[in-house]
Amino acid sequence: MQRSQPDHLRQFLILVFALLLPFFGIWWVASALLGLPAIGFVSTLLTNWMPGVVHSLYADGSETLLMTQFGEQGGRPAPLAGSEYRFGFSVDTRIISYSLPFYSTLHFATQRTNYFNTWVWGVVILYPLMALGLVSLCLKDLMTGLGTRFLEQPGVFVPDANLIAITYQVSVLIVPTLAPVMVWLWQSRDTPLLRELLAGLSALEQR
Amino acid sequence: MARFVITFLLVLLSLFTLEMLVPVQQHVIVPFTEVLARIAAALIMPFDDTVRAAGKVLQFRDSGFAVSIEAGCNGVEATIVLIAAVVAFPATWRARLIAIVAGFFAIQALNMVRIISLFYLGDWNTEVFSWVHLYLWPTLIMLDVLIVFVLYLRYLSHHEPDRDATLAT
Repeated sequence: MQRSQPDHLRQFLILVFALLLPFFGIWWVASALLGLPAIGFVSTLLTNWMPGVVHSLYADGSETLLMTQFGEQGGRPAPLAGSEYRFGFSVDTRIISYSLPFYSTLHFATQRTNYFNTWVWGVVILYPLMALGLVSLCLKDLMTGLGTRFLEQPGVFVPDANLIAITYQVSVLIVPTLAPVMVWLWQSRDTPLLRELLAGLSALEQR
Repeated sequence: MARFVITFLLVLLSLFTLEMLVPVQQHVIVPFTEVLARIAAALIMPFDDTVRAAGKVLQFRDSGFAVSIEAGCNGVEATIVLIAAVVAFPATWRARLIAIVAGFFAIQALNMVRIISLFYLGDWNTEVFSWVHLYLWPTLIMLDVLIVFVLYLRYLSHHEPDRDATLAT
């Protein structure tokens, strides 16, 4: 009796929809913790890059706060001396870290020989992209919230406003969903699912 | 594979830059987004006549709750990703064109579900709206792009002799 070949695509699709919500649930619960490595790195980067503007970036429960070197009066930045509060922004790190549950869903829905090692490598690749996304989020908040106080820092390189805007758009709209797919695609190129689909590609590239 | 990735990224960046240009936004993206709002209102109206579209804003007449369809919610970025992937993968231009047109409609169909579902979710509960809007729907839309692309690859692999013969000429 001949055994029929498994339909890898169908299996993949069923598992993707079965795993998507559980992984997003785990991520939601652990999102504050998952963001910490990127927050720590970006805090060090920004406080050294723009010490006259950025005071700190830190996790406060499920929130991430970007504190500036300015005070606050009537919701506007003001000199710190004489201000009751420090001017800061709440940054939503989840808007970039949801690449992790998406990547995990794609990864574990694909039949492969080694699940854990490749998954760790995938996460390691995604973290720098998350950190870059967080930098762009912070720069956008600083630009829109502080205006010229941020854009005209003497002796400090500040990216062009248009570049900050474009980087922010790419980091929020494209990278969190595209990066997991690209990492998954690369890591899955030798899996049964993609091997047959990409066979023609390698043949054509060798010509 | 490396050539595919490089071509994909180049086409993606070119199209995304093009999309960001002010004239393109003014004359293509914003009018297109307004059409999406009108289509969403037209789809809802038979079931709920308290809805109206004004520009790219969809609004309930009674409660006043409204959503504005902004960049990232009109399916344009997802379509750009699909176009870049299809163009980067070796195939005949006829196959590519069919994949892009079919993929565009597949993305926009799901995006319409996104717009309408978010409109009602937002009126019901803003916290649930934020969660679904910011994290879940972008994932589902990219999944839609991925599925369309994988189905396209499967189609190509089943028609490979034709494709190789055509590409070789």
